[in-house]
Amino acid sequence: MSKQESGNKLNGRDFINIGIYTAIYFVIAMALAMTGLIPIFLILLSSMIGIIGGIPFMLFLTKVKKPGMLLIMSLIMGILMFVTGMTWMPIPFSILTGIIAELVYRSGGYKSMKAAILTAGAFPLWSCGNYLPLFLQREQYFADRTSYGQEYIDAVMKFTPNWMFFVLLIATFVCGIIGGFLGKALLKKHFERAGIV
Amino acid sequence: MSEDTWTSSKKKSLLDPRTKLLLIFVEAVLVLATTGGEHLFWFRVVFAMLPFLLLLTAKRYKTCFIGLLVLGVIYFLEYTVFPYVNGAIAGILLIIIMIINRFLPAYLMGVYVMGSTTVSEFKAAMDKLYVPDALTIPMCVMFRLFPTIKEENDSIRAAMKMRGIRFCGRKAGKMLEYRVVPMITCTAKIGEELSASALTRGLGKEKKRTNICHIGFGWADIVIFLLVAATLVYWILGVFA
Repeated sequence: MSKQESGNKLNGRDFINIGIYTAIYFVIAMALAMTGLIPIFLILLSSMIGIIGGIPFMLFLTKVKKPGMLLIMSLIMGILMFVTGMTWMPIPFSILTGIIAELVYRSGGYKSMKAAILTAGAFPLWSCGNYLPLFLQREQYFADRTSYGQEYIDAVMKFTPNWMFFVLLIATFVCGIIGGFLGKALLKKHFERAGIV
Repeated sequence: MSEDTWTSSKKKSLLDPRTKLLLIFVEAVLVLATTGGEHLFWFRVVFAMLPFLLLLTAKRYKTCFIGLLVLGVIYFLEYTVFPYVNGAIAGILLIIIMIINRFLPAYLMGVYVMGSTTVSEFKAAMDKLYVPDALTIPMCVMFRLFPTIKEENDSIRAAMKMRGIRFCGRKAGKMLEYRVVPMITCTAKIGEELSASALTRGLGKEKKRTNICHIGFGWADIVIFLLVAATLVYWILGVFA
């Protein structure tokens, strides 16, 4: 845009861009979350968000030129997760991961492609916040879900010892980077041609 | 009063937007995340039934009826069919029952709130709660875009079905490229137009914007507040008892 030099303060256009891409991102995340009813998919969820969500996210990154935008998007995702019943824990966690993503992208001066792909790896970590109740309040989490049936609980239990959280973080990061590359490829193939970037 | 001509044409909804936000909050904590466990069971029932009443007040009879029908079918399944099946079918049935039991009230509450609140009212409520623009504007845009995304997605699905790109079709693997990418493209384009239109209405200015919507609390809001307060008190008493 022509009025690039309006300082580092976020303006209305930036807020709207955040809204647009958060909406797309949230719709994709929700579509994926529907598959979380199958036990193994619950664990894969954050990774899948990393890969598929990478497509709109890379497009979003081309619009991010100022500090704060990634943090706001992350926070909104956290709030939406709270509203969709994942307890309050995703909110602080998403703020934390939002700051990390912000710092990573900032290190590339908000335009380097390498930093963008790393950011695409760091950003989806917010979705791991959904797992926090599973690990931190294990008894309560399963007490609430006894009606899912013992088989479901056993299946989830088996795949989630406590160290699993860190595995999930790493897996999400790696998948996010894959999603970043995927997004970059699609960016070149489709979005630049369509003139959105 | 020139303002009356603006507000009187609009049907005022029963609840204040802030109360609706509180209700969404309570639904998330109490019904979806089932805080409080068995202790709060009856309050949970009350809050699960509340969306149906609210939908009635908003004259959304069809949604309310379908919701009640689904709930009825689910209870019917739970008490008549469920005890007689076992194995995998029981597991699947149980999951379906649980999911619908839990998500339907919150979903209907969402439908009610989104259907009965205009974006301006939402903005006015958030301003009164001192939520910064950095959060309010993206959220307004999001709520504005959800129906659009659904519409676009339906059209894209129809178009791609013709080319055999669907879940069970021959080219299911190309779903990502031919379904997600067009959806993003369309939404981004629409968003850009939206952005332009919002900027012409002065969203880009630093000055504080005014809002034509008058929001305020009425008797219904007080009833809801009392209900929420009662739940809270009962819950705290239960924790320390």
